[in-house]
Amino acid sequence: MSDHLLSLDEMKKVDNYLDTGYKVQYVYENLSGMFIEFERQEEEVCLQITTAEARKYFAAKLQE
Amino acid sequence: MADLRINLAGIKSPNPFWLASAPPTNSGYQVQRAFEAGWGGAVWKTLGEPILNVTSRFAAVSYNGQRVAGFNNIELITDRPLEVNLKEIYETKKRFPDHAIIVSLMVEPKQEKWHEIVKKVEDVGVDGLELNFGCPHGMAERGMGSASGQVPELVEKQTYWVKEVARTPVIVKLTPNITDITVTAEAAARGGADAISMINTINSLAGVDLDSWNTVPHVGGKGAHGGYCGPAVKPIALNMVAECARNPLFNVPISGIGGISNWQDAAEFILMGATGVQVCTAAMHHGFSIVEDMIDGLNNYLDDKGIASVMDLVGRTVPRYSDWGNLDLNYKIVAEINNDVCINCNKCHIACEDTSHQCIDLYSESGRPMLKVREEDCVGCNLCSIVCPVDGAITMVERKSNIAPMTWNERQSLISNFAR
Repeated sequence: MSDHLLSLDEMKKVDNYLDTGYKVQYVYENLSGMFIEFERQEEEVCLQITTAEARKYFAAKLQE
Repeated sequence: MADLRINLAGIKSPNPFWLASAPPTNSGYQVQRAFEAGWGGAVWKTLGEPILNVTSRFAAVSYNGQRVAGFNNIELITDRPLEVNLKEIYETKKRFPDHAIIVSLMVEPKQEKWHEIVKKVEDVGVDGLELNFGCPHGMAERGMGSASGQVPELVEKQTYWVKEVARTPVIVKLTPNITDITVTAEAAARGGADAISMINTINSLAGVDLDSWNTVPHVGGKGAHGGYCGPAVKPIALNMVAECARNPLFNVPISGIGGISNWQDAAEFILMGATGVQVCTAAMHHGFSIVEDMIDGLNNYLDDKGIASVMDLVGRTVPRYSDWGNLDLNYKIVAEINNDVCINCNKCHIACEDTSHQCIDLYSESGRPMLKVREEDCVGCNLCSIVCPVDGAITMVERKSNIAPMTWNERQSLISNFAR
């Protein structure tokens, strides 16, 4: 998958979580990229974002 | 006609173009000829205890047919007695009372040495002093020039000693051979400097002769490091001027030096915060008459911009210069190729494919070779437009981002709210 397509895919995942009621609990970054821990009611999920464009996108979503 | 007069820390000059302290300002004969040619000021070649020079002294770096892209020298300060220089300074000032004569000084870092030379020089009627804390070769081995200019405490202390007795404005000339020039600039300001000038030359070795294995230049088979200047150093100098100009802790005028070869270079330094500029290498390469084009060019530029005085141009770009962390991560430009202008050298494709982001595709249309940028993969790095030999073939164009502007600093601040 091209970097562009991968970033679109990652952005879509971010949107999906946010659109379905998940709330961002924790965000951390390390050598493998960005990790976002979402929570909805009792359920917790962790999304890894690897592409630069998606990491920019996610920060913008935090600002909204 | 715009007003080109400047006032740098009280030193008035009919235009912002000064000759830098260097071989072109070694004597009254030269400085007077420079003033006749149109230079607004001159910083007299550094006075101090007369030195001994060697031959040879200069070397140039040429690149792809561009002569003197960089210039290297191992010449020291004046080799003439102080009295000879002072007599010529007096005569020059008498003949050109409206031109700025600033005298560069370098002595051992001792209070009495600075007091002695400052008093003697000011007695002949100069417009200002420039303390040479920048010369990187020869004199630095004796504890002067850049050797003292690299130690903020020595910069401050020596500036203070000069200011104890000086009656004219004191410019402190800084060395670029230091990690952060704002540190020594602040030290100069603390010592009472009325202005700073930058940059002096950069430590350099111009080359090695592959036949003889001698250094370039060499003195009878032996070489020593020199000071590098000329067009090649302009970006380094421009950044250092800008870093000082935007430093909130630093608030004294700047005289810009470093590879200034034409009016455009001068205007760039002025926009980045220099009140005036000093020129050496370009004058050594092409002669004093280059100042005519500099004056005309700057005049026309100011007229075109509707700016009445060059002083109104000073620092206009400084607010646009910041830290990387304050740049918008979501600003987007992409390359656009005009195939009607393109000569199909494919340099853009090769550069992008080999060393950037592989987003320029080769294809054929009715048998004609074409190039196209895949915008979604283009990161807007500029490389293709930099290597393109044809003006107008590649343009970097803005693309509106769907994401709101956000800097790295803003992003980190936001994310920190979600740290564990």
